[in-house]
Amino acid sequence: MSARLLQLAWRNLWRNPRRTFITMAAIAFGYVMLLFVACLMAGLRWQMIENGTCLVMSQIQVHAPGYYPSRSIQKTLGGRQGTDVSAMLAAIISDRRVYAAAPRVYGYGLLSAAHRSAGVELMGIVPDQEPKVTILNSQIAKGSYLTARMSKGVVIGDKLASTIGIDVGSEIVLLTQAADGSMGNDVYTVAGIYHSGLDAVDRGLVLMSLSSLQDLLHLAPARIHEVGIKLNDITAATTVAAALEDQLGKTLPVQAMAWPELAPELANYVQFNRGITFVLFFIFFLLAVIGVMNTMLMAVFERTRELGMLMALGMRPVQVIVLILTEAAGLAVASLVVGGALGVPLLWYLQVHGLELGGATGGVISLAGVVVGHLWYGRQDYPAYGQAALGLAATALVSALYPAWRAAHYRPTEAIRKV
Amino acid sequence: MTFMRWQKRSVAMLLGLALSSVAPMSHAADDQQARQTVERVAHLFSSKSSITTVKMQITNEDGQRDISMKIWSLGEKILVRITSPQDEAGAAILKEGSDIWYYLPKSNRTVKIPPSMAMNAWMGSDFTIDDLVKETFLTRDYSISTFFEGKRGGVAVDEYTLTPKPDAAVVWGKIILQIRKADAVPTWQGFYDEDGQLVRELTFSDYKSMSGRLIPTRLVMRPADKAGAQTTIEYEDVAFDVPISEETFSLPNLK
Repeated sequence: MSARLLQLAWRNLWRNPRRTFITMAAIAFGYVMLLFVACLMAGLRWQMIENGTCLVMSQIQVHAPGYYPSRSIQKTLGGRQGTDVSAMLAAIISDRRVYAAAPRVYGYGLLSAAHRSAGVELMGIVPDQEPKVTILNSQIAKGSYLTARMSKGVVIGDKLASTIGIDVGSEIVLLTQAADGSMGNDVYTVAGIYHSGLDAVDRGLVLMSLSSLQDLLHLAPARIHEVGIKLNDITAATTVAAALEDQLGKTLPVQAMAWPELAPELANYVQFNRGITFVLFFIFFLLAVIGVMNTMLMAVFERTRELGMLMALGMRPVQVIVLILTEAAGLAVASLVVGGALGVPLLWYLQVHGLELGGATGGVISLAGVVVGHLWYGRQDYPAYGQAALGLAATALVSALYPAWRAAHYRPTEAIRKV
Repeated sequence: MTFMRWQKRSVAMLLGLALSSVAPMSHAADDQQARQTVERVAHLFSSKSSITTVKMQITNEDGQRDISMKIWSLGEKILVRITSPQDEAGAAILKEGSDIWYYLPKSNRTVKIPPSMAMNAWMGSDFTIDDLVKETFLTRDYSISTFFEGKRGGVAVDEYTLTPKPDAAVVWGKIILQIRKADAVPTWQGFYDEDGQLVRELTFSDYKSMSGRLIPTRLVMRPADKAGAQTTIEYEDVAFDVPISEETFSLPNLK
């Protein structure tokens, strides 16, 4: 491509600035639209995964083989002898992809206060380790979260509290079948009440310290059911789970499960979301394509006479086509840069502030068993942005190619006579 | 929820049989004599009141556990108090009407157990909630469909197959009850599911005369799906129709 052709293309673009700006606007607007959709859909996906894993479940769980999903109280890590919990945690943390790990014990029992009672799931946690993995500690609506000194404190959900009629400071009795078959029971005090927004959790999950749940269940301190893990990058969950299973498996039979396995409904939702994103993206892309095509076609068609003149002056048809494509490519790149520049503050806003969804109710929205919250946050999806840019640029080129090709095939005398 | 349950009929169960009180007979379809025999067996442990000392031995993959308890019954009311092991001694269960109360000495609390929670094995034993909680009226809920007369293990027995009546709210698809011919005591009881598979079996032995009645003093419940698991109940002392005050069954008395 000669420098002269580039010069000609440049001059052509500026010969009719209005036409050029309209075409640019069509491409740039289409691009911003696609950025918006991709960002919001990626945000929803991310929020679902993040919120679905961070409340109670965690991103990876390590169990004794056969513990999940029956959750038999006997199937502790390392069997009946248990295991060196701190050594195991250290081994897990030594993987650089792991952000934090926390030991857990589970049981089922009857929570009873005054004359009302309810069946609950008991979760024993270490108060200064668990908040690194899950965020229930940030959902305390009343009272306080567990502390290391609080051996007989429990934290319950607001739905459970109102069903049973108890409040912070109330005494409750927990009754359970302990590991040895006896009736484990003790008196506890409600230290805090949380509100997670998830009914099943708010209604049925009781948090207490790991050691006091071990006492209640007659489990030795070396016996825990699970290690919950948070990663630096959640997308690596399945890979890291497999690596941990191999690594820990050298000393102890374990099963490490990543969130897609622990919450298949969440994994299904993410798949579903990707499907919807594709459809939406396709629709918005079509809209953008129509806009770009329309302006591009018109812009080139109206120059048929001018192109005929160029050919009459001795320009070869191939050179005409290359000229038009150069103009179109230049336009597309400039438009995408403009669109991208306009998109940056928008995407930043979506990621940082989110879209208000709850509206007047300000309520919490939950989807597929996950609390999404009333703000819809965006998340940057660079591959999608790249695909959108390439798609739009290709559309611009193809829409320019067709009229240019037609014009190049007229005889100059004919082309000149066209309006 | 694995939970402990108890109940009034439960004691009848503990006392040996899933047969407990018997409704008046009105089904001419059943063979009269068969019904009378089943009734008699069902009444084996019935009395206006009773005080019983029982030892329960639970064997499963977790090892073996012995629990001793004393049981008081008066009409529909039942009180069970655990006497050993040491760390559970004093725990008590009171069944009054449809309410079940637990007294937990460690917590010094009395807890009411919701009926929905009364669903599983009691204290890790092989006796389920349905044995313990549900009132089973054998001749009311079941028809005696077949009758076998012959020898089982060298002992002459009558064997009755009980199938649930169409509208009976029962869990078993079939119950087979063997009764020793010589003295009309139960020897074996099998509980089958709706597909005719044996779910668990109860074996009676060690017949002794206690408080004027010949009763089996040793019962062994074996679940069919758990090899090696079983729960044995032994009656150490039984006193029928002894005076017991209503006070015994009051909530304050639980402590």
